[in-house]
Amino acid sequence: MESFTQNDGNRDELIIQQKRDIEKEISDTTPLVSDQLPLTCLYAEYSGDEVFTAKIQDLSKKYKFIRRTRPDGNCFFRAFAYSYLEYLISNSSAYQEFKKLAEESKEKLVQLGFPSFTLEDFHETFMEVIQRVSPDNLGGHSTVQEELHKIFNEQGYSDYVVVYLRLITSGKLQEEADFYQNFIEGDLTIEAFRHLEVEPMYKESDHIHIIALCTALGAGVRVEYLDRGEGGTVKAHDFPEGSEPRIYLIYRPGHYDILYPN
Amino acid sequence: MSTPARRRLMRDFKRLQEDPPTGVSGAPTDNNIMIWNAVIFGPHDTPFEDGTFKLTIEFTEEYPNKPPTVRFVSKVFHPNVYADGGICLDILQNRWSPTYDVSAILTSIQSLLSDPNPNSPANSTAAQLYKENRREYEKRVKACVEQSFID
Repeated sequence: MESFTQNDGNRDELIIQQKRDIEKEISDTTPLVSDQLPLTCLYAEYSGDEVFTAKIQDLSKKYKFIRRTRPDGNCFFRAFAYSYLEYLISNSSAYQEFKKLAEESKEKLVQLGFPSFTLEDFHETFMEVIQRVSPDNLGGHSTVQEELHKIFNEQGYSDYVVVYLRLITSGKLQEEADFYQNFIEGDLTIEAFRHLEVEPMYKESDHIHIIALCTALGAGVRVEYLDRGEGGTVKAHDFPEGSEPRIYLIYRPGHYDILYPN
Repeated sequence: MSTPARRRLMRDFKRLQEDPPTGVSGAPTDNNIMIWNAVIFGPHDTPFEDGTFKLTIEFTEEYPNKPPTVRFVSKVFHPNVYADGGICLDILQNRWSPTYDVSAILTSIQSLLSDPNPNSPANSTAAQLYKENRREYEKRVKACVEQSFID
């Protein structure tokens, strides 16, 4: 019996090792956040595919550029943070408002029961990033924009930003558990969902993550869905519904990138 | 070189020294902050009482975004501990949160000793005895407690 369980343990390790190898291959070949690329670069990925080609054509009427994020399960959070900070860099009053909200968010999470000691580590880094991309920093807009791009491609900083947004999302789900419970399929509790699907890194995001994060930060997001659905046009959805979008993302099954409207 | 993982591990260590939880201890090895030795004392009023169980904790540069690998070095007879010392505990796998630190990991393993989860067994003999023959289970646990003095 014991030799059998021993094998089981080894099998887990083999699976974990294989997962690590795949992750390494992706991280060696794809930057965390790419440069701005012409939207038309999407054609190459779907050449010969009529449905997607027609939809990219439709999309290119509204958007000129795309910025890719690494497909590591954190893409929604990373794209969201990058795109929102990019907006804030050129909107001083919105930046100040967000900075205040971010400053106060730690205390709120502690009150919700998050451990203050470890939270502090992420919060400090998050605030440092916000400070480094202040619209008032020396060098003006283009220097700050470069700084943002540099920070988001530095794994340590980039991932800490993702972690902090995951914690804010998790906090929101807990705060309004009665409401968000309606979005969860099956019999998972909000508590279990937060621990299985929100707080761990590399876990992909669903509508529930998006709604909770946008609501918590008061930031509107428009997501354009490029999929095999009928109609020949790309469907957009705004979160929270009726809000004015500050962040534009493209969703292809399993992945989010950043969009730039004309 | 200071990396987020190393910086965070220094913080974890500092906290563990300043505010040590009851019944656990841990410290980085002499020449490598990425590998720690730890000890968990068997919780009172359980068959593990008086045992001193040694563990190793191996971190990667992805800590705290990914959990470390934790293993018992001492032999532990427990439904959720593999024969090679590996531990089957959700917070070290799919329920890991970057908000956990070394202190939280060690106290979680300590409570796992008190409250095994026989439904996800890593040692099926231990799980079966725990469910069906508690006396024999406690006897086997006590044997590994005694072994832990010698190790």
